[in-house]
Amino acid sequence: MPGREPGGWVGRPLPLKEAARLVAGRGRFLDDLGFARLLHVAMVRSPHAHARLVSIDATAAAALPGVAAVLTGAEAAATSRPIRPLIPTAAPIDDHCLAVDRVRFAGEPVAAVAAVDRATAEDAVEAIRVAYEPLPAALDAEAAARGEGPLLYPALGTNVVWHDTLSYGDVDTAFAGADGVLEERFEIQRYASTPLETFGCIAEYDAGTDSYAFTTNDQRPGLTLAILAESLGVPQARLRLVCPDIGGGFGNKRRPAYLLICALLARRAGRPVKFLEDRRENLTALMHAASGVMRVALAYRADGTLLGLSVRDVTDEGKNLVSPAQHNLIKLGNIANGYRIPAIRYEAWSVLTNKCPSGANRGIGKPFMCFAIERAMARLAHRLAVDPAELRLRNYVRADEMPYATPTGSRYDSGDYPATLRAALERFDYAHWRREQARARAAGRLLGIGIATSVEPAGTNLASYEIITGRRAASGSAEAAMVRVEPDGQVRAALGDPPSGQGYETVVAQIVADELAVHPGQVSVARGFDSATTPWLYLSGNYSNKFSVTDTGAVVGAARRVRDKLLRLAAFRLEIDPADLELDDGAVRVRGAPGRRLTFRELARTAYADVLGLPPGEEPGLEARHAHQNPLARPMDAARRVPSQLVFANAAHCCLVEVDPATGGVRLVKYVVVHDCGRELNPLIVEGMVHGSTAHGIGAALLEEFRYDDSGQLLTSTFMDYLKPTALDVPDIEVGRLEHPSPFTPLGAKGVGEGGAIPGPAAVASAVEDALAPYGAVVRALPITPETVWRWLRGR
Amino acid sequence: MKAPVRLTVNGEAVERLVDVRRPLADFLREELGLTGTHVGCEHGVCGACTVLVDGWSARACLLLAVQCEGAAVTTIEGLTPAEGLSPLQEAFRTVHGLQCGFCTPGMIVVAHELLQRTTAPTPDEIREALAANLCMCTGYVSIVRAVARAAGARREGGAA
Repeated sequence: MPGREPGGWVGRPLPLKEAARLVAGRGRFLDDLGFARLLHVAMVRSPHAHARLVSIDATAAAALPGVAAVLTGAEAAATSRPIRPLIPTAAPIDDHCLAVDRVRFAGEPVAAVAAVDRATAEDAVEAIRVAYEPLPAALDAEAAARGEGPLLYPALGTNVVWHDTLSYGDVDTAFAGADGVLEERFEIQRYASTPLETFGCIAEYDAGTDSYAFTTNDQRPGLTLAILAESLGVPQARLRLVCPDIGGGFGNKRRPAYLLICALLARRAGRPVKFLEDRRENLTALMHAASGVMRVALAYRADGTLLGLSVRDVTDEGKNLVSPAQHNLIKLGNIANGYRIPAIRYEAWSVLTNKCPSGANRGIGKPFMCFAIERAMARLAHRLAVDPAELRLRNYVRADEMPYATPTGSRYDSGDYPATLRAALERFDYAHWRREQARARAAGRLLGIGIATSVEPAGTNLASYEIITGRRAASGSAEAAMVRVEPDGQVRAALGDPPSGQGYETVVAQIVADELAVHPGQVSVARGFDSATTPWLYLSGNYSNKFSVTDTGAVVGAARRVRDKLLRLAAFRLEIDPADLELDDGAVRVRGAPGRRLTFRELARTAYADVLGLPPGEEPGLEARHAHQNPLARPMDAARRVPSQLVFANAAHCCLVEVDPATGGVRLVKYVVVHDCGRELNPLIVEGMVHGSTAHGIGAALLEEFRYDDSGQLLTSTFMDYLKPTALDVPDIEVGRLEHPSPFTPLGAKGVGEGGAIPGPAAVASAVEDALAPYGAVVRALPITPETVWRWLRGR
Repeated sequence: MKAPVRLTVNGEAVERLVDVRRPLADFLREELGLTGTHVGCEHGVCGACTVLVDGWSARACLLLAVQCEGAAVTTIEGLTPAEGLSPLQEAFRTVHGLQCGFCTPGMIVVAHELLQRTTAPTPDEIREALAANLCMCTGYVSIVRAVARAAGARREGGAA
């Protein structure tokens, strides 16, 4: 095993450093922080999916005792700039932090109140009179893709933000020469990871310096700071953003508009203001994974070899002008899954509708992409009467082909996909359960086995937006870190990526401990994020599985700079070549002469205090910053190939379900995951992520759905009707692993956070379909509710 | 409208004049500074705000502070030793029974209640007890392990 040499802390299953405070309830989450004279914000939200805003009367609300400030959309538009869409639109769109003139989804904020407490603010919200003129709602993305239905932005003349067809390889020939073509239509619902702590922020304004400070659980501070500076019209140097402990993120925790609303209210009131979503606001208005429809055509030879793939993908973005087409681009980068498919065509529509904005959610786009491909593979296996595992084994990219360039521009860096699946089948005891299934079926019991495998990329490359815009703005994947040996010889580190449960205080300490040859207990890692002290980039943040592939490089690089400086200082003082020195247990010592050593504390004294003792030209201090970019990111080429994501882990899921014929209920009896995320930096954390992400996949498969009615009202806006998996729904997930390090990351690690959220829905769906094979059920949409099953069992 | 309320919180007598509409969770967090009780849904489903009221687990978001007149309320702070961690908390730490830590106090409160009433819970009984609390991070697997480990340690400790 790599990294298991004596003293190697990376690779060890260390319990979280963070745990001591969190298990005692001593975390410091946003809502736990005290601010003097803090005001609390509540928002007026549209009850309509689509309406003209006729008038707002807030005079009564403003006069209520305890109300400090009120902000309407018109006032917000007068005092801030619109939030710019990530891709240019056909006509200029002014999307302000509060709705102006028109509301575009039920739950969209139209006004906000700051008051002495939340209850008073909510009383004031009820006193604000808003007149709406309801408009027909655009809810059908496929209709919009055909040019039908009401328009969200009449100036655009369409709800389609992006439509294009991309071809790689000779698709027509592949389909013309195929022995057969499998065609399927799949749908995915809207769902979300719903972090248990909701999203929010505290904004402070200092009139003396015209500067703002934000404390927020926003998981992508680099991008958010850029948006805030532009919309508030202040230099970034006058903005500060601090992240405390974050209670889960999964991509959901971002909404620059809320930070803007709070900034404007704080400026108006002259006091700090806090907004924290209640759960209904979170479910109604923060962020959903996009729903959509995918038409898949697979061209194959009679032996099951895949020849070509054609996908037509309509993405229902809701009112998402912040990151439209992101789902599409991510899907494109993962479209072939782990298979060798030489010819690929992808026709994409990114469509606005009158629903909650879509956005990043654990795996963004990939769960649906994987669902469509893996379901198609299951259907193809059924058609060819081939075992679904065997069909996959015939088509995987092989280990000897790594690194493998996919037709669309991704590069699969390492791994042995057939070995991953074989290990999963063995661990699951596939042959045994196939026999049991037949026996159970004869006895009237409905057991089903589901297999799904996936690639899991890490790191985003925003250069993929060149496909849409033809020009490059942001690109690559990068992060920044700082490592410092303090004047007393102790070590401190900070990272531009605010964690939300991934245990970075622990893992960063493990990495630094190895680089500087100290105990991880001697490495203090800054909690959260502070733009005033943490090194950061526009690309900084907690997203896209990027810790393993960029953050590690930043930490390693900063630590090595400090290490090199320690060696130089010691070499100068000991009058010896640095090559003859080594680090050991908080000291630099001469190789082979353990008695000749200088402790970090002694070297730090020179670096910080006795600076006349420094080598000539050496800068005082023992601190280094480093930023790392992943080398696999590239711009788009002439064939429109571009890696939207970078380093690829892989996994195989194998699960067993039993369907209750009386109720239509589905019970997961057994669930095996074998995954390969390269070198595991902390196996305890990695296993936890595999469990949690798989649970999310199970939820998407069987329970979770943001369901809208025909007028665009969200019907599932509480945890009573938007169902999350409980401890009774998630089985004791068994995890096995392979370890093929990535050649393209500093420590050989790959992404693991999105994990089971990607193949989980497909695995469970295939198991249910397998259980219901005698009834001819085919799973083409999620979630699979007891009602759906019950209808299958009774022929509808 | 305000009304007086007298109760015991983590063994200390508390007497306050509170808004009658104030939930117990807000009372604990904002008036007593006991921020370990988290608020995740405010409609009684997620369990993050679970506390013990007279020894029984209860949703602090669904109770009003004034309803706790005369009650003994125990929060995560009351289940944490002055120094170090309880064996149950230590088990959560050791087996990685948490990630972001937001659900953790509520989980530990219900697990504490379970272990008060059952010395050798089966994995199914543990899952049953935890099923009223949501965790979005762990998939529950290592939380179940943590509770089983704490139960096992308690039995061994009792036998010794």
